[in-house]
Amino acid sequence: MMLQPLAAEIPSRILPVCIDAPVLGNQYVSDRYWMLRLDAPEIATGVRPGQFVLLTPSQTPGEGPSLPRPMAVYDVDRADGAIDILYGVVGSGTTQLTRFRPGDRMTAVGPLGRPFEPPSDATRLLVVGRGIGICSLTLLARERAERGHAVTVLLSGRHRGAIIGADFCDAVGVHARQLCDEDGSSDVESIRRLLVEQYDPAPPDFVATCGSKRLLALCRDLGRRWTCEVQVSVEAHMACGLGYCHGCAAGEVGRDEESPLVCATGPVFRVS
Amino acid sequence: MRATSSEVVDVDLSVELGPLRLSNPIMPASGCFGPELASLLPLERLGALVTKTVFTAARSGNAAHRLTDSGSGSALNSVGIPSPGAASFRSQVLPRYSAHGTPVIVSIGGLAVDDYFSIADELSMAQFAAYEVNVSCPNLERGGISIGADPDQVYRVTRGVVDRAAGRPVIVKLTPNVASVDETACAAEEAGAAALTVANTFVGLAVDLRRRRPVLGNGTGGLSGHGIKPLVLRLVWEASRAVDIPIVGCGGIATTGDVAEFLVAGATAVQIGTATFSRPTTMAQMLDELPTQLTDLGCRRVADLVGSLQA
Ligand SMILES: Cc1cc2nc3c(=O)[nH]c(=O)nc-3n(C[C@H](O)[C@H](O)[C@H](O)COP(=O)(O)OP(=O)(O)OC[C@H]3O[C@@H](n4cnc5c(N)ncnc54)[C@H](O)[C@@H]3O)c2cc1C
Ligand SMILES: Cc1cc2nc3c(=O)[nH]c(=O)nc-3n(C[C@H](O)[C@H](O)[C@H](O)COP(=O)(O)O)c2cc1C
Ligand code: FES
Repeated sequence: MMLQPLAAEIPSRILPVCIDAPVLGNQYVSDRYWMLRLDAPEIATGVRPGQFVLLTPSQTPGEGPSLPRPMAVYDVDRADGAIDILYGVVGSGTTQLTRFRPGDRMTAVGPLGRPFEPPSDATRLLVVGRGIGICSLTLLARERAERGHAVTVLLSGRHRGAIIGADFCDAVGVHARQLCDEDGSSDVESIRRLLVEQYDPAPPDFVATCGSKRLLALCRDLGRRWTCEVQVSVEAHMACGLGYCHGCAAGEVGRDEESPLVCATGPVFRVS
Repeated sequence: MRATSSEVVDVDLSVELGPLRLSNPIMPASGCFGPELASLLPLERLGALVTKTVFTAARSGNAAHRLTDSGSGSALNSVGIPSPGAASFRSQVLPRYSAHGTPVIVSIGGLAVDDYFSIADELSMAQFAAYEVNVSCPNLERGGISIGADPDQVYRVTRGVVDRAAGRPVIVKLTPNVASVDETACAAEEAGAAALTVANTFVGLAVDLRRRRPVLGNGTGGLSGHGIKPLVLRLVWEASRAVDIPIVGCGGIATTGDVAEFLVAGATAVQIGTATFSRPTTMAQMLDELPTQLTDLGCRRVADLVGSLQA
């Protein structure tokens, strides 16, 4: 699988800021997922679908985890200047995130990374996400639906309770189909049949995916079948998020040249 | 009499690293900084800017994962020093550091003693204030043993770079992975180093329990962050008593109080690495707070605090 950087030209975007953002809410949602809302107008004004922030899971310098945690911006309220982050509790950093209460301040750096860039004439979008990877896709689905584009979202998860984004899609009027391992509906071959049947007569002109290598391979196959652009958001361990620490280079290590930095060249890449 | 914070009067933050005079003692640690920070941090306020270690030839660096949070306030990295090579460093990278009017310290590395001489030769005509020699690199001619662990090789590398430095001060950044930091510190001093940075990262390992593999693609990595602060304070204290040249403290510094502790332990200046990742504005905040910190400790100059540990 080849991941290509998006076009060399970076579309107009705001520079990242570092803010101590007041926490507006931090609540348990379901399974291992929590929703965090930050008062972050400096980030909310410019953030674009697929971009992320670095969150520092401690309020005191020198205490707590040594590295910030990369998190996609799940949704944004541009009028109120708030951003929502949906996070899964995995290890120490995300456990510490659950301790923040409204009124606390959380250090956040963003918006970071390159957003999804559908072709300018794209109006039919297929969005395929699994597990926590869905968080990188929700804003794309919403903003495109608001423009009147035809957006279909597939949400895959281990079991019903672990499928996130369904309520969000309902609320923003996007058609979402839920698939889970429990009843076999998330099986890649059944998804392939489903999509071929639905889209062969009139293929999408853009596919976005995140959260599963197998779904990524499926999207690549379908993209070739329909000759449409496929983009994926990938994960990497990060420290700076800005492109200077070189901690996030992912993929094959060539002899002379470093593979692309996920934080600065990605996290969204073109799939070919 | 102790001054209170309300009476911050003309505190002199300037420091001297041999012939290198800096407006203040705060600078970034190599590899934990880049001109990309310019929108988040006023780079012109820093005492100096330190580049990522550059090698003569282009290098790709190590496999993923290259870094991880390793608990207890520490991070482990095996970035492996990807480098654009000397030529493209000179034409593409260095100008972005020089654009801020702050003294630029170029960190150089090598995988054999001669590599250090080549890179120094290749950079001799470029414009920058000083060298920092990163000797914590594996020597591929000697089975990968760190050059910085052997006082003889530290001497040879330092001497060779001093000879090629065209008068620029040469700072040698020591490795902490030695039985006695005094020996390598003295070797660098004898060879003509203007100052010593103490220190680079401690070798460590993070285990992925489920896969029973190292977390990092490279296996081991370098431990940094607040968790290593007591270990480095001790090295700074020891090194500062072993040599007469100034020490730049580096390792685990996250707050202005930490800066002051390093100065007391014997550092003349400090470098901030891992702390910048979580809070890119850390160094600016330290510069805001340092005058009050010094005043509170009854000092009017940084030099009043340096090496004042009573032990
Ligand atoms: C661009 C991007 C967007 C992301 N968006 C979201 C999101 O919206 N919601 C969400 O829940 N998660 C998201 N993640 C994953 C999230 O960053 C990790 O789950 C989190 O860092 C785990 O931290 P921890 O301390 O709980 O886990 P630990 O396992 O204790 O972490 C140890 C170290 O590994 C790193 N790490 C572990 N897993 C990952 C991972 N999957 N990706 C990157 N670093 C990892 C941590 O940052 C830390 O340095 C995203 C990752 C990236 C790169
Ligand atoms: C991601 C990363 C990259 C680093 N790259 C370099 C490097 O290129 N050259 C070098 O001399 N030290 C490098 N270091 C070591 C730091 O300069 C510093 O010595 C170390 O991190 C201890 O300081 P800290 O605890 O403040 O981070 C790197 C450290 C990290 C975390
Ligand atoms: S996280 Fe530092 S370069 Fe990507």
